[in-house]
Amino acid sequence: MTLRRTLFAAVLSGSLILTAGCAGDDVADDDADNDSGSGGGAVTIASQSFDEAALVTAMYEELLDDAGYEVTKKLVDTRPAYLSEFPASVDIVPEYVAGLGDQLNTDANGEGAEPISSSDLDATLEAMQPLLDEKGVTLLDPSEAASQNAYFVTQEYSDDNGVTKLSDLEGESIKLAAAPDCEGRDDCEAGLADVYGIDIELLPLGYASPQTYQSVIDGESQLGQTGTLDGTLDDQGLVLLEDDRGIQPAQNLVPAVSSEFLAEHEDVAEPLNALMAALDNETLGELIARVSIDRETPEDVAEDFLEQEGLID
Amino acid sequence: MTLLELTWDYLTTAGSWTGNGGLLDRLVEQLLLTVTALLLGMGVGLPLALWLGHIGRGGFLAVNVSNIGRAIPTFALLAVLVTADWPGPAQLGPYGRAGLATLIALALFALPPLVTNAYTAVREVSADVLEAADGMGMSGRQRFWRVELPLALPLVVSGVRLALVQVWATATIAALVAGPGVGAIIVSGFARNKYSEGIGAAFVVAVAALVLELLAAAAQRAVQPGRGATVRTS
Repeated sequence: MTLRRTLFAAVLSGSLILTAGCAGDDVADDDADNDSGSGGGAVTIASQSFDEAALVTAMYEELLDDAGYEVTKKLVDTRPAYLSEFPASVDIVPEYVAGLGDQLNTDANGEGAEPISSSDLDATLEAMQPLLDEKGVTLLDPSEAASQNAYFVTQEYSDDNGVTKLSDLEGESIKLAAAPDCEGRDDCEAGLADVYGIDIELLPLGYASPQTYQSVIDGESQLGQTGTLDGTLDDQGLVLLEDDRGIQPAQNLVPAVSSEFLAEHEDVAEPLNALMAALDNETLGELIARVSIDRETPEDVAEDFLEQEGLID
Repeated sequence: MTLLELTWDYLTTAGSWTGNGGLLDRLVEQLLLTVTALLLGMGVGLPLALWLGHIGRGGFLAVNVSNIGRAIPTFALLAVLVTADWPGPAQLGPYGRAGLATLIALALFALPPLVTNAYTAVREVSADVLEAADGMGMSGRQRFWRVELPLALPLVVSGVRLALVQVWATATIAALVAGPGVGAIIVSGFARNKYSEGIGAAFVVAVAALVLELLAAAAQRAVQPGRGATVRTS
């Protein structure tokens, strides 16, 4: 009886591992009907669910809605969850240049593939073009706004040690509170260690998470990871350090559109390009702070901003 | 290479096991975490549950209070403990970051099977046997140590065995607050798109759970009352 129970447990845990392996949110329930020609019809947009992505996605939604489209919006936790259904059943994705490029690269060339992105926007776009063609995806105009990793210290630490840029930390032993994917990344642990010569000990507490802020404010770690668009730092007495040796890839905001969908609906390009032109780090940072600090809904903030910019009526 | 082959590669590479933060390191951390949390749970839960079973009162309350542990997600509890001023995320010796918070959360998680089994085990000792014990003139204390506990032991140990395997597998959540254990490899593997490492480490946790289960099953067999008796009479 013990044996039978143990075997049962073994089979059960085995099947759990298998289901875990293929877990993933079902982004689009069905293939949207896209045959209704330009200037309307159904469109599915998908993105990640953190505040910044949710806000930008809400802007896309408003714009497309304004252009006469029936918009279905899906927000999920991770990029691979929607990327596997893009461009098949997802039509438009608010993306970041380097993030999309590197993900397509690892999808196509395996987990160990050399990253193709760099801090140079044009070079990165050029390097990812073959992968985009292969996937059937077209990028519209990238924005000046770029959501890159950034590293912060407390104002006090900055003043006491005269640290304003990352190279000031060269040769120091630093505890870094960051996302668990930081380890080995050129824009995070590996870059800080190799390019800046900082001796990094990683605490995997999350990207701009409450735990990460707390750890730096409490002095458990000296350096914390957030993004260039973080509008909450000031209030917490934290300051960003300048990336003076350029380890951050070009994470400019960019609309990624299914090439097939774009060919049938050319009119989606113009409003999305206008949105990209209207955004820069400061504007977007303030808007995100309204969502993440003031708890306004992404939809309200998006509508407000687009009306103010005259992008929708 | 397929994911399965990559995972096999990862598991059969010596470098994955040795070294700082390798699988062996993490396994030892997790075992330490599991055993300590289980002992804490046993230290609190077993005496109480056995005593309540002995006097035959208050068990309903005890079982239900400990069952709150089942209703509260362990990770939620851990998150609250880590955010609180005490115990907070402080380092605790070999238990690593947020060690105390993790131990408390896991010990509470271990309570329901321990308390339920121990209480039921003592309560379910046959009334005839108890009457016989009373008839022999045993005091309450004698009755407990010589009759109730030996007869209850297999079920008590089965509760410990259940708690052991549950706590072992759940101890991986320590990684979510940058704590110790194999969970650190699982989380970091999935976060870095190195699914082979995440799945490989999860597989190791599952296999270790089965090994623990087998060991605990052997321990349970050893305390089966029938066996001791046959040895003594033969």
